[in-house]
Parts: sequence; structure tokens; C-alpha cells
Amino acid sequence: MHIMEGFLPLQWCIVWWIIALPCLILGLYQLKKVLAADRETLPLLGVTGGFIFILSSLKLPSVTGSCSHPTGTGLSTISFGPWITSVVCAIVLLFQSLFLAHGGLSVLGANIVSMGIVGPIVGYAVYRMLRDTSVNVYLTVFLVTALADMFTYVTTSLELALAYPAETGGFVSSFVLFMGIFAVTQIPLAIVEGIVLALVFKYIVVLKPDILIRLKIFSEEKINAARDDAS
Amino acid sequence: MKFRYALETLATIAIVAFSGIFLYTSSTMGGAEFAGSDNVGSGLIAELSGIPLENFQPLIPQWKPPSGEIESCLFALQAAVGGAMVGGVFGFWMGSQKKA
Repeated sequence: MHIMEGFLPLQWCIVWWIIALPCLILGLYQLKKVLAADRETLPLLGVTGGFIFILSSLKLPSVTGSCSHPTGTGLSTISFGPWITSVVCAIVLLFQSLFLAHGGLSVLGANIVSMGIVGPIVGYAVYRMLRDTSVNVYLTVFLVTALADMFTYVTTSLELALAYPAETGGFVSSFVLFMGIFAVTQIPLAIVEGIVLALVFKYIVVLKPDILIRLKIFSEEKINAARDDAS
Repeated sequence: MKFRYALETLATIAIVAFSGIFLYTSSTMGGAEFAGSDNVGSGLIAELSGIPLENFQPLIPQWKPPSGEIESCLFALQAAVGGAMVGGVFGFWMGSQKKA
């Protein structure tokens, strides 16, 4: 999902930076508040953030004959919402642009918007829709993770299509072409990522159910039902 | 879920199937290079804009890992940081659960 340094015209770099910055500031503010209110959230932040570090470093081969990486943002989105997730993503993406030449400082805003903001917002919307229904928590985690991953790549396609509309067919045909590269490659990765993070969530449910209940991530009944499922 | 290791089983099946599909496509698709989709995307940008790939220069000067070895070292470092965080916290939770 990285747009490479130099591949986005300056005006678009600025647009995406302007969108990304308020989200990051809101995220930092929320992060400070959450950690000050309850120090026990720090380990949860460590686990959910840790998976963003791990999964976004794994470049996996896909059916289209190219490689792409999962985003790992699902757990963090469910636990802390999209804004705090965007801060963790910004750290990972900054590391990758400084040391790995994946993305770059000018396109960092655009990359934060796709991986750290739009993907998690879509995931968070799904989570809020399913949270108070009878849908199983593991299925919820799977859907949130897979969709956050997919929509990250849809957003990258959108960002590139806006900057490079095709001569014939304009924005739409260009969007379809970029989707063909990014989104299609991503489908199998998103499914595997969703299952793996649902499994990780099971371990959190087994080991530390009280923190999930205290942060009101899921209701007590749902967590208890999930514990019964797991044992 | 009726049996205990349903998610573990599912994850294993998914990963094995994923690897199987990879082995199949890599042996049947002749032209598949398994390049990063980032680079494939950049190629399409060059095609759409009509500007040759070499003409895209970084807007902000950027350090590039001198070789693939160094790049993989830094990627491994990133994963290791994440792994340490995850392992450390799960260990901490398991330990404090036992004490309680």
C-alpha cells in the first residue's frame, strides 16, 4: 500500500498531509488520556500495536504474482479506535520511509490516510455495527481486520487514481486499474490476516478478559460467551 | 464454536491453503516475478502519466538501503520489535494470572 516517494505530485502530498495531521493530533491526545486513566491499558496497546509492527513487515506472495503485506490494524482499531491506531501506523510508516525506502516523507501523509485512517475507520464502523448484536466476537474481529486491510488498499488505489486519472475514462478507469493491482492481490491476504488476528484475540480473551470488559470493548456477556467458546 | 481448537485449526488450514496456492501459482505462472505491489503500482503510474519511471525523483531526499540484505535486516528488526512487544505482554499476562 505504500505510495513510493516521488510518485505523488506535490499538491496531493499536501492534501493528504492536511487530512492526516488532525487525526494524528486527536490520536495523540486520546492516547495520553487513555493511558493516564488506566495504566493497565499499556500492555493491551503493546499487543495490538505489536501486531501492526509484525504484520506490516511481512511481504507475502499472492495469487496475482506480486507481493503485498497485511496491515494488522484490526485489533488496535477494536481496542482503541481509529485515531490511536493512526498514531501507531504513523510510527511504523515513518520507520519504513526513513530506513527502508518504502514510502517517503512527502507521501507519508497519503500512506497514513490509507493504512492508519480510512482502513481503521471502516473497521471501526463494522465493529460498532456488530458490537451490540448477537454476532460472535471472533467473527467480528475477523470482519473488522479483513475489511480494514482491504479498505487500506482501496484507499491507496483511490489516492493514486485521483492523482493520475487515465486519459480515456479518467478517474474511474484509472481507479479500476489500480484496484486490479492493489485490491485483488490483497483479498487472500486479508482473509488470512482476519483469521490470524481472530485467533490472537482469543488469547487476549482467555488471558485478560477484565481489561476488555473495563474498556467496554465488548459487553461482559459477550466476553463470557467468547470464553466459553474458547474452552 | 463447539470444539476447543476451532480457531487454531482454521488458522492452520488458512495458512496451509495460502502456501499451497502460492506454490501452485509460482510454478504455473511463467511471468510471475513476485515483485512488491508497490513497484507494480509505480509501473502503472508511469504508464498512465506517460512519464518514464526513471523520471520520478523523490521530492524529499531519501536514504535507500544499499542492498536487499540490509533491507531484509531492517525489516526483520521491525518484526522483532513487534514480536518482543507481543511476547512480552502475553508473558506478563500469563505470569500475573498464575500469581493471582
